[in-house]
Amino acid sequence: MIRYYTRLAVLSLRQTPLLTGLMVGTIGVGIGVFMAALTVYYLMANNPISWKSERLYAVQLDSWDPAEPWDDERPELAPWELTWRDAMALRESDLPLRQAAMYKVSIVVQSEREGVKPFQTVARVTDGNFFALFDIPFVYGSAWDRAVDDAGQFQVVISRKMNEELFGGEDSVGRTVRIQDKPFVVAGVTETWNPVPKFYDVNNGPFDDAEEVFVPMGVGRALELYSAGNTNCWKDEEVRTYQQFLESECVWWQYWVELPDVAQRDAYQDYLDQYVSEQKTLGRFPRPLNNQLSNVAEWLDVRRVVRRDNQVLVVLSFLFLGVCLFNTIGLMLTKFLGKAPHIGIRRALGASRAAVFRQQLVEVGAIGVAGGIAGLCLAWLSLAGIRKLFPGYEELAQLDLTLVGTAIAASILTTLVAGLYPVRRVCATAPARYLRLQ
Amino acid sequence: MEFGPIWRAAMRNRTGPLLIAVQIALTLAVLVNGVFIIQQRIERITRDTGMDVENIITVQSFGFGEEFDKNESVRQDLEALRAIPGVVAATSTQHVPLSGSGWGNSIKPAPGEDAPTLNGVRYFMNTQAVESLGVTLAEGRGFDADDIEYPEDVGGAPRQVILTRAWADELFPEGGALGKAIYDNLDRPSTVIGILERMHGAWVSYDKLENVMLIPWVIPGRATYYLVRTEPGQRDRIMPQVEETLSRINGQRVVKGLETHEEIKAASYEGDRGMAIILAVVTALMVAVTAVGIVGLASFSVRQRVKQIGTRRAIGARRRDIVRYFLLENWLVTTGGVVAGSVAAVAVNYWLVTRYELERLDPLYVPAGIVVIWVLGLLAVAGPARRAARISPAVATRTV
Amino acid sequence: MLEMQHVSKVYRTDTVETHALRDFSLLVADGEFVAISGPSGSGKTTFLNIAGLLEELSHGSYRLDGNDVGALGDDARSRIRNEKIGFIFQSFNLIPDLDVFDNVDVPLRYRGFRSDERKQRIEEALEQVGLTSRIRHLPSQLSGGQQQRVAIARALAGQPRFLLADEPTGNLDSEMADSVMALLEGINAAGTTIVMVTHDPELATRAHRIVHVLDGQVREPADHATAAAAPRPAAGLRAG
Repeated sequence: MIRYYTRLAVLSLRQTPLLTGLMVGTIGVGIGVFMAALTVYYLMANNPISWKSERLYAVQLDSWDPAEPWDDERPELAPWELTWRDAMALRESDLPLRQAAMYKVSIVVQSEREGVKPFQTVARVTDGNFFALFDIPFVYGSAWDRAVDDAGQFQVVISRKMNEELFGGEDSVGRTVRIQDKPFVVAGVTETWNPVPKFYDVNNGPFDDAEEVFVPMGVGRALELYSAGNTNCWKDEEVRTYQQFLESECVWWQYWVELPDVAQRDAYQDYLDQYVSEQKTLGRFPRPLNNQLSNVAEWLDVRRVVRRDNQVLVVLSFLFLGVCLFNTIGLMLTKFLGKAPHIGIRRALGASRAAVFRQQLVEVGAIGVAGGIAGLCLAWLSLAGIRKLFPGYEELAQLDLTLVGTAIAASILTTLVAGLYPVRRVCATAPARYLRLQ
Repeated sequence: MEFGPIWRAAMRNRTGPLLIAVQIALTLAVLVNGVFIIQQRIERITRDTGMDVENIITVQSFGFGEEFDKNESVRQDLEALRAIPGVVAATSTQHVPLSGSGWGNSIKPAPGEDAPTLNGVRYFMNTQAVESLGVTLAEGRGFDADDIEYPEDVGGAPRQVILTRAWADELFPEGGALGKAIYDNLDRPSTVIGILERMHGAWVSYDKLENVMLIPWVIPGRATYYLVRTEPGQRDRIMPQVEETLSRINGQRVVKGLETHEEIKAASYEGDRGMAIILAVVTALMVAVTAVGIVGLASFSVRQRVKQIGTRRAIGARRRDIVRYFLLENWLVTTGGVVAGSVAAVAVNYWLVTRYELERLDPLYVPAGIVVIWVLGLLAVAGPARRAARISPAVATRTV
Repeated sequence: MLEMQHVSKVYRTDTVETHALRDFSLLVADGEFVAISGPSGSGKTTFLNIAGLLEELSHGSYRLDGNDVGALGDDARSRIRNEKIGFIFQSFNLIPDLDVFDNVDVPLRYRGFRSDERKQRIEEALEQVGLTSRIRHLPSQLSGGQQQRVAIARALAGQPRFLLADEPTGNLDSEMADSVMALLEGINAAGTTIVMVTHDPELATRAHRIVHVLDGQVREPADHATAAAAPRPAAGLRAG
């Protein structure tokens, strides 16, 4: 019967091309706009390391100014970063399964390759554990070990893309590249890794590209590299030399740990609290105890990675879908009340109320499918427009299979909801009323 | 005016009017809030930065190699850049205003713990700073060659600074900031030698955007930016010359980031601009869908009531009475929707304010939105109403 | 009061010319009860539309109360329909979403009466047709005969010069038909001119005079004197 009903549906819809066009168009526009907004939101709210995100924690210690909180509007927050002293101290703990301290720097890279000019790029100063911590696979070689970190040896890990640029993609382990005019030995080449959002450092743009160059901890100190990310200081202290900078209360380090279960997490929280209490006796940490451990999802939430504007747009486009829904109800009323004589005749010929109801639902469903396709086209167009408006949103404005399925499903659902009342109204009336010839 | 019978009839056949009223309510709520947000964003984007943004070129130099001498490099670069025909002025800076990157600063009007701390942003600039930015110097003077210092670190306090009027007024509400000293967190003084009428700083969403300090330093480090201001209309022609000049006179550094200041400003306002455009499109679509809905339902309603309309004409209605009837009927429905919509508009705004920290709605937007919706409803129903008026009174005597 | 002279009505399409009325002449005096009788297709409906100013005539002249109404504009015709003519339709033509009061009210609104005057006229008209108790009912809640009475009240409320009735009992059973006709006779006895169009010859005999129509023309004009000699007595109003 479904095939029969489908054929009838197509015939019926073709008979009223303007009305059908309006219905499909209204649903399409509503679904298109809604899906475009939902896509950007969904991709922005993405958890790029979902298989591990529950075990990865960002560490925050409240070493800030006793006179005022880190954020006036959200006084419960601790600073996003740590001081050098605290980052170094935390590295001594063996409680976390893995851990890495890190910060972003700006460097000049010189390749030994002919014709490649020196260029400036960003790099990350971090522990060798960084790669295992975030499950970054290696193409060649491997990360450096703790000894290299502590000694500040000039080793480097580069990304696959950087390896292409510097070494033409060959196995470059052991080869040299000049960074800040010093020779660095390549320890490993990582697979392409660009999490969206860049959860481990959202300070300067949660959708920035990941760094392509990584150097060990000690290198930052050896080359006296300041942070190219955010540095914030509150204390009235002299900070003129690099050494003074290291010993200051300025926060510029990010810290991530891996804690496999709740017991570990609690133990680590205790450790943090104890550490800070000890530091308090030395005159530091004048604010009340406020150490935070946030897993990736919590971190993305508290950092408000999904922009408010996007959330607002999702809501407004949902209201727009509502308008389209009510509009479609009106259009369907027009359509189906116009079909009343047809339905009356079928009923007179013996079709049950349920049968004509099913027949009309198939017609409604057909409109839903057509509207879904129209909506997808519009969503695709809208996303192209969004990519034009926001050049940095390349990865954030793309339809994937899940979203396509959602669009079709949403369209059919919306259309069915819209069609319920009109179809019921027409199928429930006594056939005689519509068969009247006078 | 037959309000009573129209209302009573509408109540007995509620579905059509209700559908329209709901659409109108939702549309008004979104229209009012949408237009408000758009207007806010446009205001933000078009507010006066104080600088001659259209005529400024920015470029970054990043030195490498053991022999790279930044101070010498800056001197040479500025000399060469200023020599390019069509260039009005050029200066060095550690960050570009409006780029989203900058160094915050806290200063006080007097030494001691009790003095209030006022925040803003600082730029380390060179001679021709005022001319390169295109800002208006309200009082005092810009930087001379003698003022420029080359400190070994950035931890000290500058001898001389230029402030924006906004910051100066915050520090010294009674006025007369020129010549006075401001103090850093270690109570070290700097003298205010110039006051800018207005200038915007680094972060466009910062509430102290207008608090800017210029410091006549060239700071250590390998990187610097140059701001090059050109004669009006010359910018695009001169741009490639800037890069070429710098690359030519010194190969020991990377020349990158050649951009117009306009592009940098646009990038900072990308979010606001995009939001405004998207909202405009969605709001326009919504109004269009509602208008089409009104036209559709009104046409349908006219076709359903052909006999009734003919009868009215037969018993004495003129054409304009029929038009008036439909306009009135539509106006009643629209007004019902508008009442619900006004409440919805305020509710939506309240929710946007509390949940998303948007601005509270200027109340005038609601009546303005109501007028727009009324006009929209009238225009939408005009066609069907005129068609209804053309129905012949002879329809009343037909038996089919 | 109503004078048609050599009226003809031609409908033209691209292919066909239909002469619905030819050389139609009719004289109706004040207070008469005239029946226009003829089979279907005879032009009765066209006559009705012309007489009721629902359509324009093609040739001839039509005078109402001495005024030439044949060539008036739409607004003027609407005004005359509103003030001078009371219509009664075969299928009642009540507005389904309005109650009895509002239905009778419709033509009065176009007249521009004030609200208290309208109320008075509506109540009087409904009393005349015996339906004051149903004043807030919807047409769907009334029988066919009651609906026609409401339509008659609507026609009467403006105190028209004459009633123009199109098969007034066509959609009613015999008992309701009888009571409606009795009502019309009563109204006529009280002084209102009635012109009734019908295909039912028996119904036509209840009028004072019958005008036979065939193929768009008047045939066998009935004897004015014969009709006037035997007027029907006004039957008492029966609620139906």
